[in-house]
Amino acid sequence: MYWKYVLRRLLQSVLTFVVIIFIYSALFNTVMETTLRSQINEQIQGEMMQFATSGLTAEELKQHFENRKERLYEQYHLNDSLPSRIFWRAIDTLTLNFGKASTIKSSSGSSDVMEIITEKIPNTLLLFLTASVIDVIIGIALGLKKAQKPNGRMDRWTSIITMIVYGLPTWWLGMVFIMFFSYVIPIFPSGGIHSIPPPEGGLAYFLDTLYHLALPVLVLVIVGFWGRAYLIRNIVLGTLQEDFIMSARARGLSERRVLFGHTLRTAAPPIVTMALTSMLLSISGGLIYEGIFSWPGMGNLYWIAVQQNDIPVLMGNLALTTALYLMGLVILDLIYGFLDPRIKVGGKA
Amino acid sequence: MKTALVKKTSTGTNGKRAKGLFTSFWNEFKRYKYGMVGVVLLLMFILVVILEPLILPFPEAGSRWRDITYWQDNPDNAAPAWTNWFTAKDKTPQQTLKPVNLVEQNEPGLSFVDGEIPYNYQYDDPPTDIAFRAMVQGDVSFIVSLVRPDGTELPLFDTHTASSVPSDFRVSLNSATIDNVFEFVRGYEDPSVTAVYNRRTMNVMNVLFAKAQPGMLYNPEPMKGQYTFKVTSVTIGAGEITDARMEVAGKVFGIMGTDSAKRDIWSGLVCGTKWALLIGITTSLVSVVIGVTYGVVSSFFGGIVDTVMMRIHEVVYNMPLLPIIIVMSAVFKPNLWTMIILMCLFFWTGSVRTVRSMGLQIKEETYIEAARALNASNSRIIFKHMLPQLIPYSFASMALAVPGAILYESTISLLGLGDATIVTWGQILQDASNGSAVLQGLWWWVVPPGILMGLMGMTFAFIGFAMDTILNPKLRTR
Repeated sequence: MYWKYVLRRLLQSVLTFVVIIFIYSALFNTVMETTLRSQINEQIQGEMMQFATSGLTAEELKQHFENRKERLYEQYHLNDSLPSRIFWRAIDTLTLNFGKASTIKSSSGSSDVMEIITEKIPNTLLLFLTASVIDVIIGIALGLKKAQKPNGRMDRWTSIITMIVYGLPTWWLGMVFIMFFSYVIPIFPSGGIHSIPPPEGGLAYFLDTLYHLALPVLVLVIVGFWGRAYLIRNIVLGTLQEDFIMSARARGLSERRVLFGHTLRTAAPPIVTMALTSMLLSISGGLIYEGIFSWPGMGNLYWIAVQQNDIPVLMGNLALTTALYLMGLVILDLIYGFLDPRIKVGGKA
Repeated sequence: MKTALVKKTSTGTNGKRAKGLFTSFWNEFKRYKYGMVGVVLLLMFILVVILEPLILPFPEAGSRWRDITYWQDNPDNAAPAWTNWFTAKDKTPQQTLKPVNLVEQNEPGLSFVDGEIPYNYQYDDPPTDIAFRAMVQGDVSFIVSLVRPDGTELPLFDTHTASSVPSDFRVSLNSATIDNVFEFVRGYEDPSVTAVYNRRTMNVMNVLFAKAQPGMLYNPEPMKGQYTFKVTSVTIGAGEITDARMEVAGKVFGIMGTDSAKRDIWSGLVCGTKWALLIGITTSLVSVVIGVTYGVVSSFFGGIVDTVMMRIHEVVYNMPLLPIIIVMSAVFKPNLWTMIILMCLFFWTGSVRTVRSMGLQIKEETYIEAARALNASNSRIIFKHMLPQLIPYSFASMALAVPGAILYESTISLLGLGDATIVTWGQILQDASNGSAVLQGLWWWVVPPGILMGLMGMTFAFIGFAMDTILNPKLRTR
């Protein structure tokens, strides 16, 4: 039964991805084709240079390259009708054929968009997963503490802080922290993922990365965990109103047993979903944050691609971010289904 | 006639009921202290917007934010003026000096005006520059000298300008007086010193406001006292000089200092307030109205309509919000309004699910059945009977959506994709990030815009969370 659920969920999300890519393709068709055309023209210009000494007459050369341009346009379906062009652009994206970047190069010097983006993905995951794990652990601990004495002094104060940081831009706090902890009191590096040049040796390299990871993770956690704690408190409080809690209390179980034994088991699926959802949202919303710390991840790549107006990289990055995001949502649902016994047996959640 | 009358009475009672509901809601809301703090803060922000013309030191700051000539008399990267309270050495603040004792002499074809511009200098750190400014029409020469507290008179510059229409005339003392000031220094400094510290490395302001003694070039000791700029203008033929003044560009400036382009940050912050409110409130209002209506309609019709609508919702909901907005902004280069539309396109999904589940419950109520039995139209049931039930929820989610909209706008501005015709807090931060304000520790440029953004987010969070707590009684106790 669970496998049926897994399969259905996977299929559904693949379908959603395809639809979203088609929407992107329709939205950005004009700009994608302009870039493609100019890249083809550039390629032909380059070939012309090589042919210049081949002894053909100017007329023949021109004819040859006109034909070649036509063929390339044909190959990329650039002469088709609009719906067909949108279709082929979407197919290109779905087959991960993002083409060549205009200016950006990967660390090995290649301008293949796929390579440029894939080398950034681990860095993004490293930063945001580390922050999220710390964040969720503190959040759950604080949330339970808050739920134990709702409207107590601690609950109230931490809730107020939740609201204070609610509209705070994380990247701004990053800027302020860099200013104070990298320049005024220089105890942390101001950015990057490791020193230049990176230290030799496994352990030194690892420690160096950790040192560079510290400040960005610190800022993410400082802003992040309050909101999670607040949500966890609300979920737990919601569960505490259920009848079976009343019956557990009536049986004379200790409050600790009630909270950790009965409430937490029931509240686990929504807590896990909530924690993972907010993690996903923080990644998608915090991408730009990487730019502040010059962290070489996908968010920083958006920043660079926007500044250099590199459309192929921008499009490829968007498609891959969407794919990762959807993957995250699937994993989330699978964990939920695993934790919630009603889904395992095929009932309705 | 009769129907009109009936309709009137019915809206009358409805209005009264709504008023009663609002009063009871308000009474409950007042019990939440943080909610009230939010309301007070919101009123303060609104007050700032209303009083903008009064508290803006530069009236055209909003419209000429990117016009460098508008800001040229200010110092660059100057700290706020109040930082002087915390430092032992007083830095010169920005000041506009007006002429006094104007004496006019007229001869055939010529007119002379002698004037004095007094400057009481009581600081330890001299200004970054002083600019002589006037509106000049005609053929005019200016001769300017400085009488220092020790009695020496130092010629500064003489210059000539001709213009048939009134035009801005500006002389920066830093560049116009180098030769004269260097001559003056040479009377005191040893030749070996003047050989090392030449014209180009000399700081004119340091010398002008230093005690005349050896060492004034490399270790100037400030001379406090009454300085007087003597200005003589000679006009050939007809002409007019108005608004003559000296603009002292200090080392500290105004309430919030200046940025690297000499702009007054306080003015930028004040101008940004209205845009933040506009962007936040418009976006959240439109997207919540769309979302709530969408959810109710979906739940009301059910069946295939519901399925299709929820599939569409799911597709939009599954798009990563910030990346898609960034890419769309990069491709379409939006202005303020298109950016609001862009955000609404994706923000509406937030409230749909909750509203739909609430709608499914409301749909089963007996009064909906009664309305149906009375042959009420679908739209009447939706808009008259279902949507009003969701108004409290809508207000809460509207308040909570405002900070998000402001945050997204500022993030897009940070990437340099904001509307260049206005000034927002995000754009100030973008300039700060490009102007290496972080590296130089220009905290007055980096910190205040973020604090304001956080404060505004907090305002709406306080209001929204208070409403949320009232609407969900479960959250109050265990």
